Amino acid sequence: MGYQMSTVEFNNVISKLLLDYRILAPVCLEGKGTFSGTDLVTYGDIERIQDVVFDRKTVYSAKEAVFPPSETMFYFTEEEFKQPSVDQKGILVFARPCDINAFKRLDAIYLESGPYPDPYYLQLREKLKFVLMECDHGFKNCFCASMGTNETSDFSLLVRSEGDQIFCLINDTGFEDLISESLASNSIRKVDLQPGFVQRNKTRLQIPDKLDNSLFSHPLWQEYASRCTGCGRCNFSCPTCSCFTMQDLFYRDNPSCGERRRVWASCMIEGYTEMAGGQEVRKTQGERMRFKVMHKFSDFKKRFGFHMCVGCGRCDDVCPEYISLPRCVQKLQEIKNGGVR
Amino acid sequence: MAQNPYLPHKVKILEIKRQTKIDYTFKLESSIKPDNGQFVEVSLPKIGECPISVSDFGDGWIEMTIRRVGKVTNVLHDLKEGDHMFIRGPYGNGFPLQKYKDKHLVIAAGGTGLAPVKSVVNYFNDRLDLVKQLNLLTGFKSPEDVLFKDELEAWSKDFNVTVTVDQGNKDWTGNVGLITGYVKVMDFPNPEEVEVIVVGPPMMMKFTVQEFLKLGVPEENITVSFERKMCCGLGKCGHCKIDDTYVCLEGPVFNYTKAKELID
Amino acid sequence: MSVHTKKLIKNAYRITRDRDITALRIRVPGGHLPVEYFDIIKEVAQKYGNGTVHITTRQGFEVPGIPMEMVDKVNRLIAPILKGLEKDIGVQVNDEEIGYPAAGTRNVSGCIGNRVCPFANYDTTDLALKLERIIYPNDYHVKIAVSGCPNDCIKAHMQDIGVLGQVEPLYNPDRCISCGACVDNCHKRSTGALTMVNYRVERDEKRCLGCGECVLTCPNSAWTRGSNYYRVVIMGRTGKKNPRIARTFLEWVSEDTVLKVVANMYDYIEKHIDRRLPKEHVGYIVDRTGLNVFKDEVLKEAELDAKAKVAQFIDFGRYFYDRNQM
Ligand code: SF4
Ligand code: SF4
Ligand code: SF4
Ligand code: SF4
Ligand code: SF4
Ligand code: FES
Repeated sequence: MGYQMSTVEFNNVISKLLLDYRILAPVCLEGKGTFSGTDLVTYGDIERIQDVVFDRKTVYSAKEAVFPPSETMFYFTEEEFKQPSVDQKGILVFARPCDINAFKRLDAIYLESGPYPDPYYLQLREKLKFVLMECDHGFKNCFCASMGTNETSDFSLLVRSEGDQIFCLINDTGFEDLISESLASNSIRKVDLQPGFVQRNKTRLQIPDKLDNSLFSHPLWQEYASRCTGCGRCNFSCPTCSCFTMQDLFYRDNPSCGERRRVWASCMIEGYTEMAGGQEVRKTQGERMRFKVMHKFSDFKKRFGFHMCVGCGRCDDVCPEYISLPRCVQKLQEIKNGGVR
Repeated sequence: MAQNPYLPHKVKILEIKRQTKIDYTFKLESSIKPDNGQFVEVSLPKIGECPISVSDFGDGWIEMTIRRVGKVTNVLHDLKEGDHMFIRGPYGNGFPLQKYKDKHLVIAAGGTGLAPVKSVVNYFNDRLDLVKQLNLLTGFKSPEDVLFKDELEAWSKDFNVTVTVDQGNKDWTGNVGLITGYVKVMDFPNPEEVEVIVVGPPMMMKFTVQEFLKLGVPEENITVSFERKMCCGLGKCGHCKIDDTYVCLEGPVFNYTKAKELID
Repeated sequence: MSVHTKKLIKNAYRITRDRDITALRIRVPGGHLPVEYFDIIKEVAQKYGNGTVHITTRQGFEVPGIPMEMVDKVNRLIAPILKGLEKDIGVQVNDEEIGYPAAGTRNVSGCIGNRVCPFANYDTTDLALKLERIIYPNDYHVKIAVSGCPNDCIKAHMQDIGVLGQVEPLYNPDRCISCGACVDNCHKRSTGALTMVNYRVERDEKRCLGCGECVLTCPNSAWTRGSNYYRVVIMGRTGKKNPRIARTFLEWVSEDTVLKVVANMYDYIEKHIDRRLPKEHVGYIVDRTGLNVFKDEVLKEAELDAKAKVAQFIDFGRYFYDRNQM
């Protein structure tokens, strides 16, 4: 069922939701951009709909809701391992179709890969529900349509903001009461509402269907060896990168206690494949770029049946060296077609 | 929280045996039942975790041979008998012992590569009638680096053992030279009947496998074991991934037909 | 011909090599200007000058080859520049038709700052305009420059007052993934104020310059920008007598403090200048009165917050013209 209401009325809905949910959405952190005088649009907690940024893409993705950059796994007290407790509230995340589809990728790794589901991921994932944000025209560097991730039906609410009016589609009966309670007393109107999805992006990709080892020695990768600085931004902003590293530490003020945690890892950063003793199997940024591209557009699919990349274009948006992942894939396709040497 | 596979359990150190200056063998009290060639994640809370292959196991105990190469292993080496460490696992795929039945089994191990195959050697040494013939070729950098000296001596009484070092010293009376040199001169009247295990440093594995192939041993009769960066051991963290393969899940032991396709 | 040279000079014209010929200096506070003023500068140069213009080291324009009798006409022609670049930003200009009201205090120059440069910690042009409002028109010979960061591309260290942008880096351990990039970069490019302890970064506040390199390096926004601050370096100078580089006088001070200190400095000059000399530069006054008198007077009513640091002693070093060493 669709509803139209004022932002004031919708904020009442949000207030009610906040009793049971933590609500995360794209927000603008003023002055928090990398460069002086720039803002950072990223995921943060919201308390009113005006806090939500509808017209810009976030730098970091919604994955942080269930896969935080740094997460404590155990606290050590003398000889004991204690798992941290989690907030009982649900998590409601405002997300675009690509980002919602990205969770399917994270689910594959964290819930399906290997012998066990990941308990840390699972306990947050179970609480997660989506509020769909539509994309009018998509943004620069988006290529969701090429990845088939431009649409989704996995959302509880659709929220559209037009001037001071909010349009809200309820796609999850669990949320129906929320609005109907308000319906009687307020000027909330029922409207016909259908989610709109972007069908075309400026950036279009054809993913080469057979990316295999024969491309590994192509000179294409050497170019990246000289361009990429191995900063890892492309991985950290990616909604589907799921790698992590575990670390142990003791508290300096109480060395008998400490914790084990996991932090995001990046296959583009030196040390990702380094073993105790110092040997590293992929040593150049060219090899690392190749590995990343293969994971996103080939390896993952071989295991799980769909591509890892959802075409959000963030890796392209954030690369300080202007390295474009979609452009790299286009080049691979051109090579396959015999275009580029 | 659901059952947490990251939660390690505490194990007691029963025995510590110094193999070389930097390699110690720890015998731990543990009821886990690993396959030959599997690994466990060993940890010391507040210091860290690291993957270590199980070098041997038996009823109520497992054994690991740990080289001092980093933060965690350095501290492990300071532990004493009766102390504790933490483990989780076992993880990965071990050696396909059934496949070696009634075959001529040749095990080529370079350096610490002997640890993950030690239990395989013991297994067949205890059941020599399971295989047609058993050969162990093992190479080390120098006489000081030779691992499992006692075991090597005992084994050599029962089957054909070749120990070689890259560089000898004045007390060394044994073989000198690379393993490949000793593979080259092997003679297999019926190479189809030969099964080979190769474990060791990447270069050693590469060249040793080539020698066996030259002798006519079919690719599918060669088993290798990879060493890669591991972190979770559970197919999540990504560090061990090569192409679409997770070494922690599908490895560390691979048939060569698969291994040769894996490019880091 | 009769020319009151003092008045001419005060009007931002100079006595040149060529008899009866002058040159006009146009101020461009912060070195950033709308291009529409180029048309006027061009017209002055073509109509009254020799068709050329010199870009000065202080980021102004000098239009040479102007006959002294044309000064009034030139002044009328440049009225829009005086209005747009001075009066409209709040500088007291009583009559923009009669040219610049003073020339002693020089144009405030600035590096390009955060309007373009990724390293900059603030809008240098904006600060230059604020300073211009305070110090101009004024006859005391003072040079001020503002730099966006400690790279000091504008050479603020060669000025009486140099302002360098600082930012307080804020660390969010929950976003830090221990990549070490900030630590490495701080060591390589800046002062080595960062160390990795227990997979977390610690910042030695005493060493930190506030350059913002950590914020620029962090791939995960674990470092973000906190408040802006300024480092003020003083009494750098070139010239025949005892040239020297400016030294740090204040650190981690606010914009208000910078503006207050600069305003106070003019009172200090007024009070202590030796009027028997043709035009004593502020640096030589400080040499005479000592740093403490300068410090007490310029910090009067300046609010210093807890982070602020004030130099208690400055060793400017010495400059030698020792031919015996050559
Ligand atoms: S591709 Fe760009 S963003 Fe990614 S690691 Fe290289 S330089 Fe950084
Ligand atoms: S690889 Fe790039 S485009 Fe694809 S999902 Fe990740 S950030 Fe988005
Ligand atoms: S692209 Fe790299 S960092 Fe991202 S999931 Fe794949 S291996 Fe991990
Ligand atoms: S001084 Fe700093 S801010 Fe100014 S241009 Fe140079 S590097 Fe950029
Ligand atoms: S650059 Fe950022 S993520 Fe890396 S160590 Fe520094 S603060 Fe942590
Ligand atoms: S060790 Fe983590 S995925 Fe294999």
